[in-house]
Amino acid sequence: MIDVKLTDEERQMLQGERGLVPRLCMEWLVEMCQIAGTDTIVELDGTGDFHTPWTSMTFHHDFSLEELKKLADSGARFKIPTFANKSPFTEMSPVHGWEGCDMRCKSGGGRRFDDPVFHEQSMHAEFYAEFRKMGMLQTHSCASYLTAGFLPTIGQHCSWNESSAIPYCNAVLGARTNIDGSFATCFLGKAPYYDMHVTENRYATVLVDSERLIHTDTEWDLLGFTIGEDCGLAVPCITGTAKPTTTQFCKLNAAMNTGGSIRMYHIPGSTPEAPSVEAAFGGKAPARRVVIGERELRATYEKLNYHTTDIVDMVYLGCPHLNAVDLMLLARKLEGKRVKVPLWIMTAPWLYDVARNQGFLETFEKAGAKLMDGTCPAAMGGVPDYVNCVAVDSAKQSYYITGCYPDDDRRLEVCYGTQDDCVEAALTGKWNGEWRG
Amino acid sequence: MNKIRIYGRTEYPGKVTAEALVSPAPLEGFTNVDSARGYTTERNHPLFKVCYTDKILVYPSPRGSGGFMGYATGAKPAAFLHTEGCPLSVAAAAAARIPSMTDFDVDPCVVIETGDTVFVNADEGYVEIVKKL
Repeated sequence: MIDVKLTDEERQMLQGERGLVPRLCMEWLVEMCQIAGTDTIVELDGTGDFHTPWTSMTFHHDFSLEELKKLADSGARFKIPTFANKSPFTEMSPVHGWEGCDMRCKSGGGRRFDDPVFHEQSMHAEFYAEFRKMGMLQTHSCASYLTAGFLPTIGQHCSWNESSAIPYCNAVLGARTNIDGSFATCFLGKAPYYDMHVTENRYATVLVDSERLIHTDTEWDLLGFTIGEDCGLAVPCITGTAKPTTTQFCKLNAAMNTGGSIRMYHIPGSTPEAPSVEAAFGGKAPARRVVIGERELRATYEKLNYHTTDIVDMVYLGCPHLNAVDLMLLARKLEGKRVKVPLWIMTAPWLYDVARNQGFLETFEKAGAKLMDGTCPAAMGGVPDYVNCVAVDSAKQSYYITGCYPDDDRRLEVCYGTQDDCVEAALTGKWNGEWRG
Repeated sequence: MNKIRIYGRTEYPGKVTAEALVSPAPLEGFTNVDSARGYTTERNHPLFKVCYTDKILVYPSPRGSGGFMGYATGAKPAAFLHTEGCPLSVAAAAAARIPSMTDFDVDPCVVIETGDTVFVNADEGYVEIVKKL
């Protein structure tokens, strides 16, 4: 195996001279370097996040509350600004808005997300009291960058953990991360130096030309899934689009990392490491050129629609979690309306009070919609029992939610389309979405 | 019996012999894998509900969520062999602690077929394949 280069301090940690937790974290880090094929550890100067309290000090050491408390009381702190990803594992209950959601928790032994006792237990408050002592900020969102209030800057090395967030860090912010955010990386402030930490790996290799102007949220979502399936692990340079909004970047990133594993991309003129196509490729020629047009986008649209019925039992919006402007625009669409079937709207927990203060929550409640946060149906393990067909506006949610129902005795159908299609479905209980190329 | 030997880079060491299960498409985790039963639940996937437990799982590349880790827990395969890797496959190898290899001189998805008997020697960086009759 590779001999990983260590400083004296790292060697002392590895030998246990700095205590059990640093030793376990260093052992994990060295093992990850060896598997990744790198002999180098990078010092992090950006930010980190990890799934909590799923106590992943390492993959093979469960972190007990007693251990965590002892560590926090000893004065140990995270070395980098550290954020909580998603609502607490393993239940992944909504942090707010869970009341009356009418759904069982598969990982909770069939207990209900709307049971107040279960909800309180699923928040694991005792762990977060300790994590907060160590400096953790409880954002509890797969898109915690939306509310973090502190983002890494160009070139900073990070350790994030969320497939849809990775390209936000790499491509949109120009910071550098792999999907390895964990207790160990945030505690040590170190990560294996490979893949997207390395400049050479960040240049584009595939030129993606869009034959039509990509400008609506749904077009960005479809483009993302299509590029993901085509490009796999490559770094695409995307041309032929309008300038993406924040919402559209989020949709693109989530969809790309459902269809493929796109950790980095360039949109010349929009992303910081690509002032031009030539810069995106680092002066080299593209290895491949991909043309995505009407036919490819429509094929993805058909793939994301998975239904034989037009009767919709539930509508879900908020994958990735809706930002403040998304909430404002959606509240505008629901003003004075009344839903016929349940409409779940998901945002980041730190925006819940914003929605309340801005009046969006009241608008949603008057419309009969539920504002929730921190999670999503796929993360919660599915949909309420009465739902046979759910409507979504997200490639990621469409493609993952059916995985919860592989058995013939309980299949789930999915209608996929624009947010307007989904709102109409919520108001009427019927799907009228169609390809409108 | 003729053996085909290919060479690759070891991600996680170890030796094991088992039957191969080859995925012609990338594998995706999170809700699209059932780690307790050991199969993919991704709709339309060629290996939908085909059990990989104790098999040599050969696949082109991972895709999707960090929940790819689902392949590394529970009813795990005997080994991972994949054409291309990324941080998702690194994490899976670390979590599973089963022999894992990538970056081969010959694409394992081309040379290995489902049902072949495969000896993975990740300690010495090679794989031997005995084709099924």
